[in-house]
Order: sequence, then structure tokens, then C-alpha cells
Amino acid sequence: METLANNFQVLFQGLALGSIYALVALGFVLIIRATNVVNFAQGDFAMLGAYMMVACLVGAGLPYWLSFVLALIGMGVFGILFNYGVYYPLRHRGFLPVIISTLGASIFLQNTVLAIFGAQPKRLDNVIQGGVQIGSVFLDSQYLVILAVTMVMVAFQYFLFEHTLVGKKLQATSQDKDMARLLGIPVALMIAITFIYSAALGGLAGVLVGPVLFVSIGMGSIIALKAFAATIIGGFGDVKGAIVGGIFIGVIESFAAYYISVPYKDAYAFMMLFLVLVFRPQGFFGEKVSEKA
Amino acid sequence: MRVSLFGALATAVTASLIGLSAIAADPIRIGLVSEITGPNAEAGGYTINGAKLAVEEINKKGGILGQQVELVIEDNQSTNPGTVLAISKLGGRKDIPAIIGPIRSTQTQAASPTIAKLGIPTMIGGTDPSLTRVNNRWLFRCRPNDLYSSRVIADFGVNSLKLKKWAVVHSTDAFGSGGSKALTDALMAYSVEPVLVQGYTNNSQDFTPVVLAIKKSGADIIGTYMTNSQDLGIFAKQLRQLGVNATWVGSASIVTDTAMKLAGEALYGTYGVADFNPDANDEAKAFSKMYRAKYKLEPDVYSSWAFDAMNVIATALNGAKDTKPENIRNGIVGLKNWKGVEGIYNFDEAGDGLRGYNIVKNDNGKVAFVKHINFEK
Repeated sequence: METLANNFQVLFQGLALGSIYALVALGFVLIIRATNVVNFAQGDFAMLGAYMMVACLVGAGLPYWLSFVLALIGMGVFGILFNYGVYYPLRHRGFLPVIISTLGASIFLQNTVLAIFGAQPKRLDNVIQGGVQIGSVFLDSQYLVILAVTMVMVAFQYFLFEHTLVGKKLQATSQDKDMARLLGIPVALMIAITFIYSAALGGLAGVLVGPVLFVSIGMGSIIALKAFAATIIGGFGDVKGAIVGGIFIGVIESFAAYYISVPYKDAYAFMMLFLVLVFRPQGFFGEKVSEKA
Repeated sequence: MRVSLFGALATAVTASLIGLSAIAADPIRIGLVSEITGPNAEAGGYTINGAKLAVEEINKKGGILGQQVELVIEDNQSTNPGTVLAISKLGGRKDIPAIIGPIRSTQTQAASPTIAKLGIPTMIGGTDPSLTRVNNRWLFRCRPNDLYSSRVIADFGVNSLKLKKWAVVHSTDAFGSGGSKALTDALMAYSVEPVLVQGYTNNSQDFTPVVLAIKKSGADIIGTYMTNSQDLGIFAKQLRQLGVNATWVGSASIVTDTAMKLAGEALYGTYGVADFNPDANDEAKAFSKMYRAKYKLEPDVYSSWAFDAMNVIATALNGAKDTKPENIRNGIVGLKNWKGVEGIYNFDEAGDGLRGYNIVKNDNGKVAFVKHINFEK
């Protein structure tokens, strides 16, 4: 009974952390699909969102939901700035200059936030205090919120891409920009929308995980590394893959830490990445490169 | 020619007269290496406050060897090279008989060869035990070294709280692994073998496996060496959420302002070690009162150690009767049961002055003094 309860507890934590990896991975994938580059500042979007939340909620003393909405709007605006400052000027230069540009943006963001907020980590309170106690298993309310929001976001994403005109235009842009342009789709706008959505998604992940991991300059980098592994495990550039990959990593590392060894916890995610690259290089849902070409 | 000879003579006489008067009015200058710029500038400010307060008190009581005391402050930019440079600069002046050096172990390590070469008695605050074991007879530590924190944690848990089922949780970095080993050794000295020794890597996002392992072990007391305050906060929250109510005695990081703010009520009732506490003894109480009155700030370890260091120098110099380095060294090593803010000093030949820590308790978010545990050796 005790073992069952412990396993359930470990599974729950793994699912919740995996959901955060999935949300950040989703942001990665959307930008990869729209621009063919990896945005190395994706983790810092989460960090920035969390700090915006701290500024509104703790700094300005605004109510929770208003702070939440303002943080997400702030991240959306930041997405536009990021698009025009980091991606747009280099869009015809191939993927390497853009990747370097996102790396530079990541360093810039971390140091700007450090200069404004200082090095001391900040505390954010749970959306709902407390949690649910089932026998010896405790389900933290924030983790429950994370799970619920991830499910809602997955559904929203599906609806957006499959059932709206904007979604279809976004898909067309990501598949073939020239063709999309010929069909009259405003490609630059579509890419800007992708950045806005990715930044808001990253910010959402940061706001959600802030109460659990605390808000610090380095919080984004830790999540981004796992989320990046998740995008590769799931299938580079695949939406389904990002979600499944994120949750897969969360659960595997949780159980491996419990059953094998805690200090090697971070290694399991990358061990999985290694195994996937050896045995299924295209990831769970990825297409083989030959098929894509 | 005659005129110029006369001129030269006159200049020489005037110069020597000026020189004489300068010697007569010259204060005793003590060097202070502090972090004025760089990431630790806030701590550096506290150190300067503490040293200045000590100088003020010493001068009120007549100074050192009948002369007034003056601090010569050098910035080390919170870096190792900066520290080496600052020490060299102070040493190059030739009028500085003693230095209050850095509080950081790494900076001390970097500057140690320079200090050895200069041969100037230097007070240090770094707690890495190896600092005073590298054949440098000019380093004198005005804080207890890390070996004592583990002995104090073990002594308090086993003898005062009478708890014998220990779980040791530690970060796997140098500080955490070293602390965990020292704590395990200290417990073994009381014939207590920990039921669990559990490491974790810094920046762990989830401590559930650690907490479940503690639960399974049935430990009634947890001893920790955790480096990051975020890790400490996450661990504290999950520990209490999963219903582990074991007593917790942590290394100094458990009572830092950041950790207490992050973890909030999850840390209430826990114990920690601290080398400075405003209520630990009469000297600490008096120092804290003066400090608050002068600076309108709450004193901390950065100011307390510098206050003690300056007073140790003054006492040793007054005892030595002159400013020869060898005599100052003998004066410091000769101090017996000297009462400072951080505890009772007895310097050994290696240069370690303190052998104890305060145990403090997180009393609903406030740090309360519990007891001071001191060792003879």
C-alpha cells in the first residue's frame, strides 16, 4: 500500500514537471516550425513571465488575476519586440546567425532582469493555497493547476491550428513560406503571431512554475534544457511530440530518481535523449529526414 | 654654488623637521581589504561598518600603543585577483603592521602566497578548514571553520535533543559533500550511524524522491548541508507537504534571509548554526546595540567578524608593545579566552581562533538564539 502511494506520488510530481517541460517545448516547436531555428531564449521567456508576475503582484500589489493577465499581455508585447529585434533583421541570413542572436538575447535578458530585480530569488504564492490529501499522497494545488492548464492549452492549440483560419495560415506558413506567400498569406505577420504566442506560452509556464521552483534568473535555463531534450525526443518540430516528450522526460526522471539515484536525476533525461537518438533518430513522432526532403 | 648648497641644506633640514612632526602625529594604520564594488558589494559595506565601529571604540579608549588608529581601505572588487592586488598594495606601503583580509575562502586562498611573502599578520573570515593548514603563519581566522559546524550540529542533535536516527541530506558540490562527510564523522564519534545519507545536485526542481527516502528511513532528525536557498525552499515545502515532521538542524544556509523568505512557514521550528547572533553573549549584545545606533541597520556576520578582527589586532598590538610582525603574531597566539562578539577566542599555532557555533531556531520567521556550543580542540 505504502509502495503504491509512493509510486503515485512520484508519478504525480513527474507528470506536473513534465507538463512544464511540455509547455516550454511547445514554444520551441512553434518557432522551429515557423522559422526553422531553435530559439535559445525560450527558457528565458518563462523567467521573464515569472518576473513580470512578481512585478505586478508583489511589486505593484495588483490582484492575482489582473497580474496574471498583465504578465501574459506583457509577454505578448515582448514577443513582438523579440521578433523584430532578434529574428527579423537576420531572417535571410540562414539559421546560424539567428541562433546566435537568440543566445545573445538570452544573456541580455538574464542580465537585464538581474540588474532590475537583483540576484535574490523571489517567492510567488500558489494560485490556490493548500492541496489535496489522499491517504499519504499529497497533491499540491499548484501542480494540479499546472496539469489542468497544460491540458487546456493542448486543447486550445489543437482548436487554433485545426479549426481556425489563422491556425491554417500559420500551418501553411510553417510548411512552405514561398507557397504561403503566393497564396496571399502575410508571412511576416504570421511569424510575428508565432513569436507572440510562443512568448506568452513561455511566460505562462514561468508564472505557473514560479510558486513551485521560486522565481530566479536561472529558472528558465534549467527548464529549457529539459524542454529542448523533449522536443528532440518527441520529434524535432512536432507539436504532439513536444507534449509527449515533455511528459515522458518528467515521468522518467522522477521514477529513475526514486528507484535508482537522486544525484543522477538530470542525467536520465539526457540518457533518454541519447537512446532515442541512437534507436529512433527522428524522435517519437518525427518524420524521417529523407521523407521530408 | 654656495647658494645652492645652502638651499639644499635648508631643504633637507625642513624636510626632516616635517618628517619628524609627521612621525609624531602619525596614526597606526591598519589595512582593510573589502568588497566595495562587484556582486558582493552589499556584504563589503557591512564589513567596513564593523571595522569602523571597532576603530571608533579603540580610539575612544586611547588607541593602539598610545596612537590613534586609522583604517586604510582597499577594494578587492569581489574577485580573487582584486584581493591579491589589494593585499599587495597595502603591503607595499610599509606602514601597515596588520591587515583585515577577506571573508571569502576562495579570495583568501588566492591571496595566501602574497600574504606569506609579505609576512604581515592578516585576519581572515573564510571558513574552509584548509586555509590555516597551508604553512602560512600569518593568517588568523576570526570565524569558526567548517569542521566545527558539523560537530556542533551533531552535538546539539545527539546530546541536547537526544535524537539518534539521523538522515543527512546534502548538495553534491564541494561544500555539501565536505559538510556531509564531516557531519557523518561527527555523528560516528557519538556512535550514531545515520540511517540515510542522501545527496542531490544543485538546482533540483523536485525533492519528492529525497523526502520519500527520509520517510522510509524513519529518521527523527535531519541534518543538512544545502548550498542554494531555492533548493532549501523547495525541499522544506515538500518535506512538510508529504508529512515529514522530523526535527531539522541545518548548516548556516537555513537561517539566511533569502531561504527564510522563500520557504516561509515550512522552515518554522527548524534549527541552524550561525557564528554570529546578536543575543549570543554580552559582547554581541553590546556590539549590536552600538551598530544599530550608529548605522540604523541590523548587524550581521559580515560586520561582526570585522569588528572582532580589528579588536584582536588592537589587543595583540597593545600587548606586543611594538609593530614587529613576529611580536604581533606572538600577541595573537598568546590571547587566551579573549571574549569577542563571535565567541571566546583561543588562537592555536595554525591561526584558528574560534571553535564553536551558535545554535539558532527559526521561531515563526524570526531567528532566536538557543545556545552556544564550544569545543576545546
